[in-house]
Amino acid sequence: MQLRFERRLLPNVPWGMVSSALAIALLGIWNLSSAARPPQNPVWKSQLAYLAFGAVVMGVVGILDYRFIQRMAVPLYALNLVALVMLRFIGHKAKGAESWFIVGPLRIQPAEFMKLGILLMLAKYFHEHPKRDHEAYGPLEYIAPGLILFVPFAMILVQPDLGSALMIFFTGLTVFLFSRPKRWIWVTLAVGIVGVSGVLWNDYVRDTPDHRTVLRHHLKRHQDKRISGWLDPDSDTRGSNYHSAQSRIAVGSGGLSGKGWKRGTQAYLRFLPEQHTDIVFSVWAEEHGLVLCLLLLGLYGGLFAGALGVAFQSRDRFGAFLAVGVAAMLFWQVFENIGMVTGLLPVTGITLPLMSYGGSSLLSVMISLGLLVNVGLRRHIF
Amino acid sequence: MTIGQHGTGRDFRKRYLYLGGAIALGLLTLALQLYRLQIVNNERFQLLSEANFVKKIREPASRGLIKDRGGNVLVDNRPSFTLMITSALCKDCRTQVLPKLASWLLWDAAQLDRVEALLKETPLKGSDFQPIPVQNHLTQEQFDTINAHKLYLPGVDVGVVPQRSYRSGTGLEHVLGYVGEISRKDLERLNGELAKNNPDLEPEELERRSYALGSFLGRRGLERYYEGSLRGRDGSRQELVNARGVTVGDKRLQALFGGLSVPYEPGNNLVLSIDLRLQEAAERAFPGTAGAVVVVDVETGFLRAVVSRPVFDSNLMSGRITQAELVSLSKDPLQPMVNRVSAQRYSPGSTFKVVTALAALRSGLFTLRTQVYCGGGYRLGARTWRCHKDSGHGWQDGKAALQHSCDTYYYKVADTVGLDPIAQVGRELGLGAPTGIKVLAEDSGIMPDPAYHDRVTPGGYARGMALNSAIGQGDDTVTPLQVAMMYATIANGGKVFRPQLVLRNETYDGTPLETFRPALLRTIPLSPDHRQVVVDALSAVVNEPGGTAYGQRLKEIKVAGKTGTAQVSRLGKVRVKTAQMDYFLRDHAWFASFAPADKPEIAVVVLNEHGGHGGVDAAPTAMAVIKKYFELKKADAEPAAQVARMDPAMDPSQEPSVRPEQGNGAEAGGTGNDGPTEPAAFERPPIPLPELAPPAAAAPAPGQPKAAEPEVPADRVEGGP
Repeated sequence: MQLRFERRLLPNVPWGMVSSALAIALLGIWNLSSAARPPQNPVWKSQLAYLAFGAVVMGVVGILDYRFIQRMAVPLYALNLVALVMLRFIGHKAKGAESWFIVGPLRIQPAEFMKLGILLMLAKYFHEHPKRDHEAYGPLEYIAPGLILFVPFAMILVQPDLGSALMIFFTGLTVFLFSRPKRWIWVTLAVGIVGVSGVLWNDYVRDTPDHRTVLRHHLKRHQDKRISGWLDPDSDTRGSNYHSAQSRIAVGSGGLSGKGWKRGTQAYLRFLPEQHTDIVFSVWAEEHGLVLCLLLLGLYGGLFAGALGVAFQSRDRFGAFLAVGVAAMLFWQVFENIGMVTGLLPVTGITLPLMSYGGSSLLSVMISLGLLVNVGLRRHIF
Repeated sequence: MTIGQHGTGRDFRKRYLYLGGAIALGLLTLALQLYRLQIVNNERFQLLSEANFVKKIREPASRGLIKDRGGNVLVDNRPSFTLMITSALCKDCRTQVLPKLASWLLWDAAQLDRVEALLKETPLKGSDFQPIPVQNHLTQEQFDTINAHKLYLPGVDVGVVPQRSYRSGTGLEHVLGYVGEISRKDLERLNGELAKNNPDLEPEELERRSYALGSFLGRRGLERYYEGSLRGRDGSRQELVNARGVTVGDKRLQALFGGLSVPYEPGNNLVLSIDLRLQEAAERAFPGTAGAVVVVDVETGFLRAVVSRPVFDSNLMSGRITQAELVSLSKDPLQPMVNRVSAQRYSPGSTFKVVTALAALRSGLFTLRTQVYCGGGYRLGARTWRCHKDSGHGWQDGKAALQHSCDTYYYKVADTVGLDPIAQVGRELGLGAPTGIKVLAEDSGIMPDPAYHDRVTPGGYARGMALNSAIGQGDDTVTPLQVAMMYATIANGGKVFRPQLVLRNETYDGTPLETFRPALLRTIPLSPDHRQVVVDALSAVVNEPGGTAYGQRLKEIKVAGKTGTAQVSRLGKVRVKTAQMDYFLRDHAWFASFAPADKPEIAVVVLNEHGGHGGVDAAPTAMAVIKKYFELKKADAEPAAQVARMDPAMDPSQEPSVRPEQGNGAEAGGTGNDGPTEPAAFERPPIPLPELAPPAAAAPAPGQPKAAEPEVPADRVEGGP
């Protein structure tokens, strides 16, 4: 592994982005100390350790040789694919999904790292197949990146981990759109969106799936219920909509200024399941209210803006696509998670970057931030 | 050169703008949704979040006591452990929790099914967080077992619920009645009526007065009639529970949300006109297998003792009874669920002859000196109506005829005056119509007249029917209560009172609310001369040789009375075994009386069902009751001053420490303890052990009537420590 760091590059570190991320992570740890308090495991301490470790990893990734990272794209992607395949056989089942490896005390979620592999591969592809200004990619040119995206997407989808799969899908889609496809691809996409909406409407306007539904009878029962629950949030609040209803109650009861740190009743009395992982934002919203929620959104905005800034100033297409990919990935994760907690989107298992408890999640975010730093550092070097 | 600024990446700039705009749009969407939830709908979610963890626990009001006129408690409440399940919190109820409960509490399959059905019924609106009682009267061991395994029994609680406790051995069961857990049907009906009849009531108040699952409802007798007054108003207490329904002991949260408990208001007490001492004496003195004893104040209509036998067990009926026991009760040929005092009709037999005698005198066709010859029967047309004395009574005047109960005399009267005048007097004295007691179910009996026979008897009225009616046979039917009120009316000179059981209604602390006055219904035209003839004759029945109850006379008290031996012409609908046939064919023995004969105070009627002969099988009971009544009267009058000195409650200078303490107890029971500073406020209250009956109340020493107890609900169930 080649490390390359020069003192003169220090100002090139995207400090705005890094400090936004750090602020979010620290707020996250503060929030965790409330979300999981005794008699539960006080997980904030381990999260702090993960963060420290993650910061080191971010630094290391940041000063890796730029070209080394490009070279690592293929092996990393392949390794993650192998990991996903192996998961089918030796994975640990939790909540009906095979998403975990148990290695000693660690639970490793390969999907978290697969995302990075995909981003690197896509960046590499678009770097190596450049287009001039005002030229656009045709459909045939999307076959290869489409496969890069689709294979892991499908594997994660069948785990089943709908949340991660969707996030990967939307991230890839964002990168594709950023790469400038031909106009009629846009049109096709718009038609597709309308079509999916139509299918959803057709499938869920009925009470139960039957022969007239298109997609619904292929879904697993819990997935089906999540979608129907999402479309009718006030139905079945003791059953399939319990999570959604309880997290909306938590968020809504927070009001403008919240109930106060460690005073959230929803979290403390355990009406919220997974309160320190997937729906940690509801704890934040309940205890701190709208003002600090907007602050948090602002910090995420700062993070995304910083990431886009890195992309903007990157020296080549690889850097630009990588930074855009990372920005898109983080954005979709945030959007999907908060959308889910607030009832805007169906409940899918996905973590909130830097806020949710979890080593894999935090580490993967820190690595992606490290990649951004890496890209940012080399902006003027040719 | 970087990609956004120069060269080949020139159009990247636009893309960054679009991408940045899209991201900003996404964040804005989230912000708007947050605004919608946290500001626009904040109030709703606030309420929902509180409803999540604030469990409102109903505190059933302690039901009012029922006491006799001397303040002796006839009905009170004792704590009892009740198993309750909150369906909303009971996770895996069917598969996990219920089987465990079944094995620990030794439920059989039927019981398990019953509980499952109870929980499965669609929860009432908004009540799925309301605990449903599934088993009353847990033993201490069962209670401990459940407490020890509480962790594996989400949604399962043991509550201390006041259980009605009835004094036994009084024969008052039919009067007191019993309570029962409310059925869903009744619950919905009663709550619906309550809401409809009180549209202006505040919702909180409405809720306090309405019933909930597990509420008790008066099912019979006083419990039923005075349900509204006895019930009181339920209170509530709020507990913080976590998502598993377990009460949390977090003091800070309690301080935030506690303090919202509403104390229950105990129901009102009933003070009866029944004198427990007299009641118990009557119950002891009555020898019959079945029958009734009624003692009524002739000048007020208040009942002093009411025995109906056989009885059911009010304590058993109020919750502990099993289906099998209920079935055997309903199949018992003695029909213990039938109230003999007012809801069962009997032939009055010779006790009716006073009516015929009065009708004869009123007609003017018979005077004091009119004599009828009894040769053992009376001939009308082709038939002979026999007198009970085959050899005949010889010449009988009105007084002698009543004294000897000579049937022939009354046949002659009926043949001479006809049935109408007899029926007229009978109706005036209250026969053939309900007495209006209201508290008890009533049969109106039948006072037949020609019109009645024309209506119901095939062939219509015939003269012979008057002869049967004149001696209290034929279609005449009465209830013991009617007979008692009739003799009371004769005794008091013609005043017809509505019989009453309740002297007053008072709040739980003894403040009188409503005092009931004697209810005079009407005064009948009863000539003093005629009355005197009847009273003299009734007195002769007991006090002169040859009277049918002469053997039972009392030395000190002159009792006036009439025996009756009513033939049982028809069997009831109940099928009886051959071995029992004998019993069910025997005559009913009656004795109707009042005392003292010259200045009557009480009327006593005894009916010994299938008992035999009135003079032997009913009169002694009446005599014992009358004797006891005057003993008690004497005892109450004489040592009154002495008793007052012995009672600290009536003398403030002595033992002042007793009463304030009890006063505090009453207060704690009434208002509950909800102070947020009280550290133990949310912990399980110490288990109150059921207390034994206060020994003083069980056996009042004769001659020393128990003074009124201090009116504190010490015998009520206390809600907390």
